[in-house]
Amino acid sequence: MAGTASQASLLLQKQLKDLAKNPVDGFSAGLVDDSNVFEWQVTIIGPPDTLYDGGYFNAIMTFPQNYPNSPPSVRFTSEMWHPNVYPDGRVCISILHPPGEDPNGYELASERWTPVHTVESIVLSIISMLSSPNDESPANIEAAKDWREKRDEFKKKVRRIVRKSQEML
Amino acid sequence: MDSEDDMHDANDSADDDFYSGGEAGLAASDDGDADYDFADHDSDDSGELLSHRQQQNYSILSEVDIKQRQEDDINRVSTVLSISKSEACVLLRNYNWSVSKVHDEWFADEERVRKVVGLPEKHMELPNDREVTCGICFESCPRGAMSAAACGHPFCSTCWRGYISTAINDGPGCLMLRCPDPACAAAVGQDMINALADDEDKEKYGRYLRRSYIEDNRKTKWCPAPGCEYAVEFVMGSGSYDVNCNCSYGFCWNCTEEAHRPVDCATVSKWILKNSAESENMNWILANSKPCPKCKRPIEKNQGCMHITCTPPCKFEFCWLCLGPWSEHGERTGGFYACNRYESARQEGASRQKALGDLQSLQNDKLEKLSDIQSQPESQLKFIIEAWLQIVECRRVLKWTYAYGFYLPEHEHAKRQFFEYLQGEAESGLERLHQCAEKELQVYLEAESPSKDFNDFRTKLAGLTSVTRNYFENLVRALETGLNDVGPSTSHGTCSKSATSKSLGGKSKSGKNRASSTSSKSGGSNRGVDDSNIWTCDQCTYANPKSARACQACDHQHR
Repeated sequence: MAGTASQASLLLQKQLKDLAKNPVDGFSAGLVDDSNVFEWQVTIIGPPDTLYDGGYFNAIMTFPQNYPNSPPSVRFTSEMWHPNVYPDGRVCISILHPPGEDPNGYELASERWTPVHTVESIVLSIISMLSSPNDESPANIEAAKDWREKRDEFKKKVRRIVRKSQEML
Repeated sequence: MDSEDDMHDANDSADDDFYSGGEAGLAASDDGDADYDFADHDSDDSGELLSHRQQQNYSILSEVDIKQRQEDDINRVSTVLSISKSEACVLLRNYNWSVSKVHDEWFADEERVRKVVGLPEKHMELPNDREVTCGICFESCPRGAMSAAACGHPFCSTCWRGYISTAINDGPGCLMLRCPDPACAAAVGQDMINALADDEDKEKYGRYLRRSYIEDNRKTKWCPAPGCEYAVEFVMGSGSYDVNCNCSYGFCWNCTEEAHRPVDCATVSKWILKNSAESENMNWILANSKPCPKCKRPIEKNQGCMHITCTPPCKFEFCWLCLGPWSEHGERTGGFYACNRYESARQEGASRQKALGDLQSLQNDKLEKLSDIQSQPESQLKFIIEAWLQIVECRRVLKWTYAYGFYLPEHEHAKRQFFEYLQGEAESGLERLHQCAEKELQVYLEAESPSKDFNDFRTKLAGLTSVTRNYFENLVRALETGLNDVGPSTSHGTCSKSATSKSLGGKSKSGKNRASSTSSKSGGSNRGVDDSNIWTCDQCTYANPKSARACQACDHQHR
């Protein structure tokens, strides 16, 4: 186990260094606590030209000891209103599903977790999720209903959480 | 089939009544080779005792057989399509191990199949640099330490091992493993697993592969008995669904429940549901409201015993539990507060369990003991095992006849009556066999020295076994054809008699079972009078020409 744990931490440290050297547009990332490389704090900037434009949303990424063979979990700590985010903030996108959950291959290979994913590719996936919600298999059913049937209501709620996120800065 | 029946009849025909242990029981020993092959306990033939009258339409596969067949299939595809074995394996897995389907699809559109399955035609080489960067850990490694699937996406062996191990430990999904690159669909086959994974994972992968071969193939299934490792290959479209595994468990191929001839699968699932998960609800509904069996007015039972009298003008008296007329109830069926008519069904399961247990203890030590006491070689005691196997099988059939009876339409009065008669006869016949195999055997087990009459015992038990087998085989056949001999509107008495001699015909001639001898007692003399050209033997009911002075079947003198 020690072997894989150190592989995971080496890989995460490497990514941390790379992101510090070459920051990526749209988010910033760092450790919650400098002594623990398995827990990251990321701030995602609401993508322009979407309902979330202008918001600053904080999330915590928790990596398992056997990363990159298993995916991290991502949870928004800022208030969030989105069909693919559980009411408690957990993000539900297919690339974060553990590899074994879909043995029948209903999800395309490109949609499942593979060890090639990095902090960067995960956050970019979340940003793309913000700009195009998937209401087929919603994590937050109320939000999905609003998104589908009462788009105005949905917009209003998102605008409120965007404002709140700005106030928290 | 018929001719075989005749053979049995001929062998048994000298018998006066097997149940009373006549000499003719010896005939059973000449009863064709099939039975004896079985008793060899080679376990290869264990299906034969129970289904030796049918052509076997399935084969039992051991682990070795499974491996062999799988390899043969893979080799076949690999040779015909000129692809590697590992690729052939991926292909077969994708098309549920059907060689013909793989061939059809491949030759219809090879390009499409390659794309769907993830087998690119051209193998991409690793980049030609001395050092290559791993796509997972971003470390640079010497080219030799890197591997890739056919797509050429390079990853270091540490990362591969982790990737493969995670997939294998996540379950059978690992058989569909693809390149770790999310945009790439190239398949990762067994050759890569064998080159990159550790031994434990390789073995697991092999197990999943074998399981998939049985489970994903439409023609094969695992034996559902707990702990049994045999698989069964079944040939569709012929005969019954019953399968007898080498582990001695009998099951229905179609629904994988325990073998349930003569009842069909739908009835079985209804019956199981009734007796299990939903039984609480069912019990509540059954216990709280029922329509009167005669006038269909709903009745709620709020107190009192099981004897219900519907309110006037109907006034029908019936049993609350089984809804049968009360006139058929009384002390015999458990008094006023119970009804054992369907309780027996549950007990039947228990009797069978007990018989199975007895059989095992018999095989494990009693037989050896008996062989010592009676100074008989164990090979000469096979008739006892055979008797017990027959008991177990009959108990199983008997159990399902209760489900059959439960779902027999209420209005088919003649059929119901006939069915209950047959069932009763089957029960008492089986009881005799069971008694003989259990109680009478005990005497010889406790004896001090070889018993003189042990050979008589052998004759009797072998005879009973054969008779009971025949009776049950005919019973099953009669029930499976829906008791067609019984017209729905005929009057009861005569109808059930004529049907007995017809549907259970094979034996009524030779009188091997009580069913026919009983019917002959009440009906035989009548028949003799009706038809002046023949007389019916009192003992075996065989119809003899008037000229014969002794019964042609059993030598019984005509009075």
